[in-house]
Amino acid sequence: MFYVIGLGLGDAKDVTVKGLEIIRKCDRVYLESYTSVLTVQQETLEEFYGCSLIAADRELVENCADEILPNRKDEDVAFLVVGDPFGATTHTDLVLRAKEKDIQVKVIHNSSILTAVGCCGLQLYSYGEIVSIPYWMDTWRPDSFYEKIASNRQRGLHTLCLLDIKVKEPTLESIMKKKKEYMSPKFMSVNEAASQLIAILDNKIQDGHKDLAFTQQSLIVGLARVGCEDQHIVACSLQNMTRVNLGPPLHCLVIPAEKLHPLELEFLIQYALDKDQFKEMTES
Amino acid sequence: MCTQIKNMLLQVNFTVDEIRTMMDKKKNIRNMSVIAHVDHGKSTLTDSLVSKAGIIAGAKAGETRFTDTRKDEQERCITIKSTAISMFFELDEKDLVFIKNPDQRDKDEKGFLINLIDSPGHVDFSSEVTAALRVTDGALVVVDCVSGVCVQTETVLRQAIAERIKPVLFMNKMDRALLELQLDSEDLYQTFQRIVENVNVIIATYSDDDGPMGEVRVDPSKGSVGFGSGLHGWAFTLKQFSEMYAEKFKIDVVKLMNRLWGESFFNPKTKKWSKQKEPDNKRSFCMYVLDPIYKVFDSIMNYKKEEADNLLKKLGIVLKAEDKDKDGKALLKVVMRTWLPAGEALLQMIAIHLPSPVTAQKYRMEMLYEGPLDDEAAVGIKNCDPNGPLMMYVSKMVPTSDKGRFYAFGRVFSGKVSTGMKARIMGPNFQPGKKEDLYEKAIQRTILMMGRYVEAIEDVPSGNICGLVGVDQFLVKTGTITTFKDAHNMKVMKFSVSPVVRVAVEPKNPADLPKLVEGVMCDLIVFNSLGLKRLAKSDPMVQCIIEESGEHIIAGAGELHLEICLKDLEEDHACIPIKKSDPVVSYRETISEQSNQMCLSKSPNKHNRLFMMACPMPDGLAEDIDSGDVNPRDDFKVRARYLNEKYDYDVTEARKIWCFGPDGSGPNILVDCTKGVQYLNEIKDSVVAGFQWATKEGVLSEENLRGVRFNIHDVTLHADAIHRGGGQIIPTTRRCLYACLLTASPRIMEPVYLCEIQCPEVAVGGIYGVLNRRRGHVFEEQQVAGTPMFVVKAYLPVNESFGFTADLRSNTGGQAFPQCVFDHWQILPGDPMELGSRPYQVVQDTRKRKGLKEGLPDLNAYLDKL
Repeated sequence: MFYVIGLGLGDAKDVTVKGLEIIRKCDRVYLESYTSVLTVQQETLEEFYGCSLIAADRELVENCADEILPNRKDEDVAFLVVGDPFGATTHTDLVLRAKEKDIQVKVIHNSSILTAVGCCGLQLYSYGEIVSIPYWMDTWRPDSFYEKIASNRQRGLHTLCLLDIKVKEPTLESIMKKKKEYMSPKFMSVNEAASQLIAILDNKIQDGHKDLAFTQQSLIVGLARVGCEDQHIVACSLQNMTRVNLGPPLHCLVIPAEKLHPLELEFLIQYALDKDQFKEMTES
Repeated sequence: MCTQIKNMLLQVNFTVDEIRTMMDKKKNIRNMSVIAHVDHGKSTLTDSLVSKAGIIAGAKAGETRFTDTRKDEQERCITIKSTAISMFFELDEKDLVFIKNPDQRDKDEKGFLINLIDSPGHVDFSSEVTAALRVTDGALVVVDCVSGVCVQTETVLRQAIAERIKPVLFMNKMDRALLELQLDSEDLYQTFQRIVENVNVIIATYSDDDGPMGEVRVDPSKGSVGFGSGLHGWAFTLKQFSEMYAEKFKIDVVKLMNRLWGESFFNPKTKKWSKQKEPDNKRSFCMYVLDPIYKVFDSIMNYKKEEADNLLKKLGIVLKAEDKDKDGKALLKVVMRTWLPAGEALLQMIAIHLPSPVTAQKYRMEMLYEGPLDDEAAVGIKNCDPNGPLMMYVSKMVPTSDKGRFYAFGRVFSGKVSTGMKARIMGPNFQPGKKEDLYEKAIQRTILMMGRYVEAIEDVPSGNICGLVGVDQFLVKTGTITTFKDAHNMKVMKFSVSPVVRVAVEPKNPADLPKLVEGVMCDLIVFNSLGLKRLAKSDPMVQCIIEESGEHIIAGAGELHLEICLKDLEEDHACIPIKKSDPVVSYRETISEQSNQMCLSKSPNKHNRLFMMACPMPDGLAEDIDSGDVNPRDDFKVRARYLNEKYDYDVTEARKIWCFGPDGSGPNILVDCTKGVQYLNEIKDSVVAGFQWATKEGVLSEENLRGVRFNIHDVTLHADAIHRGGGQIIPTTRRCLYACLLTASPRIMEPVYLCEIQCPEVAVGGIYGVLNRRRGHVFEEQQVAGTPMFVVKAYLPVNESFGFTADLRSNTGGQAFPQCVFDHWQILPGDPMELGSRPYQVVQDTRKRKGLKEGLPDLNAYLDKL
């Protein structure tokens, strides 16, 4: 049996009881370590689960799936994913491969940022397409997600922006070599993301775009370590967000719809960086 | 300043200060190269010029080879590296009238500053010639009148014309024609006539007289063709003879020059000129030019003392007291040199017929500059404006006496370069607006380079050639130096030869490895080690590569080129004993058919899918890309029209060529044939990177690809940008391209030399034998008119050329001398995927050498199922 188990958002104890029971009886347990991270180290998890974990980086999961899947009918393998297993699109392929090999698959769900983001007070019903904001490189500076934010805004929907994490990514130069070199791990913070969004706005203005989807004065919500003890949320203008420091990862951003429900406003204002400014921004 | 240089300057008849003053008179500058086939006597001829300018004593001209500065050059009597010298020369009032174009002379200045670059004639060193041509505007093409126009003459002349370098011609070794071959005067005229014609045919093939350069062809009656003997130090153009006779005939010098060449005959009895040969008239060139020379030769060489004395009196030749006792050849030299001093004739020819920077840069700018043709840099270059922004092109690196350091040698096209100034140093990979390959540094020192000596100079204005100190740390071989922040690069030089022969090197003593290797990364995959790096710098073309197997590879144009490179590496650059492997050939990978299926590859996360196919390029397109006729910088619409007209490519598709590769300019293309794919532009860079990678390292044995067109037919992408980054797309593109190749009947191509062999008739049979054994085939065999020599032209696979020279000599009793120059790539017959075939063996050998897994690549590793 191949189990795909969600670990939730915070620390070791966020695993479900069902999930924990399965982990403890499995022959091999993999911890997927590249789409998200917990606030605790692998050792802490091992101690709590009472079994050792095999770290599964991108290369192992994407290129050597057969190595992970159970070899025998009676072998049980658990594949642990931070958040909810299908929160990231990435693991559908693994499940398909297992099915292809006639291996039974069971998924144990858990909470994900996609639902936990409700904590900032913006209604989950009113979210549009989710986007990721990738780290820009010298030549690769995609901004197609701007269009998605724009179309969400147009339809009066909030946009959840997931921020790039690079746990163990090869450098672009080394991709074309036989020996891989890895970038040092980095996690995009809300202020970095805000700066990048402003850069896109500047480009759009330079290209002669009018009617921008949002401006530097638009309201934006930054969230850090959602689901943890020290969860932190700030609402302020995009401009001000570039100067906000929300501490260690993971961070995400929400770009609210232009028009908010009174209850949303009432809830959100408790996180405002500057309440007067918040009122100014949300009036009209 | 060391005393040696000081003494040197005392000897010369001009000083650095005088030169610096001349540098501002840009209309009176001539930047020129001397080019020729090997052994046609360039360096010796150059000495005549230098002796005229007074750098070395006149008597030694012909024996010194001033410009051959290296010990091995002097020993081997060939030029390996090109050398620059600056000379000052004054034209007489009567000669100045020949310069009519106001851009060719400052009206108050008689003096000319001539910057001359002597470059190697051996084909293996053609890249040196290319580098020389770039910084000059004119070329003195030297042809041995006995052997005529040879393969290297044609190669360099073609290059010169392509760079818009104006040629003048010099027929050298007339002494041999007279003394050894004893040609009669009409035969000699015919020989000259044929050479002029051959040269003009080459010129006409690559330019036309209506082009921006104006009339390019050479013409003895205009004075743009010289005759003489560099070795004996004498030379003339028709201008000299015309001047001698003008008074006698009461004809204007220019008009008479016209009558002294071609179908122009004179009847001494009736004193009538005619355009046709008649029984009692004689060709004027023979009568008035050759006959006097023949008489001098005859009387002196046959010891007719009285006749000789009379002749000397008649010609107004006064010998110095110490020369009066000489006889035979020694006397002949003195007489001819006194009568027709080579330096005078040549310098006149240069000053009158070669363009000044002011003239040349007007039409050369568009060939030299990559940026918009109306920006500040372009305008500065076009006007050769010393007050414009600095634009200097560094064409090569010259080793200094300080080990490991180099002078950056080049030409200032606009503005001024001065000691201490801050400038932008841009390497060939620099792109405007980006920081890659760009340094902003102060120029440590500007210097003047004269043969073996260098001299500091405060600054150098546009139109001049100079050296820079300190720039070598920032440029590998070539680059652009500018003060204009929006400047684009000056165009990189195209070499006519390719580094197709390679050897692996390692230190004899493994402990010396660090000396050979100091991993300095200069390219994605190309590394340069310390010694290798110096070598790579000092030679414009040599490639130094560290294979991923750890092997250090040096690639050059031919065996001789590599031999010299290795010697330099051993003695000058690394200073350690070196072991070298047998030479091996670089191959290319290509395909012979269209992919037999649509190839799909999925990204590692399986969410991105690429659908592509490969097909061979039509014949000639790869060569068009090599020559730059089709290149990445063309306007895409113009290029599409060209590809449509010449190769029948669909215009819409041809407009969507994403890139050329490898290295952004190679002979393979990637075409976007998709329709309506969203976000395609976001993965373009990654696909291009994958394409560059796959074209650089082909699927069979990681050799460069050649002549392959890849079409992207469809693309499926993940909805989110983060899941379609380089990490996902680059390797997928490569896998997909590999699948395309494997399904398109892959083939191996080998380089082929054009081999020109001169020999007497008896040796021809031996040549055929040797060529047959080496898979060569003769396509032309011709007697050199007026001589007993034959010229055999053949195609010879480079792989079969090792030891060819020695083999040829031993089979022809040492009478045949080959010159091999890379000519084209040709498919090695057979299927590399078929066990035991010849290309299969080549693939396996290459893989083994590179440390790759032996065997054949597996399609299943690259092709994914839907």
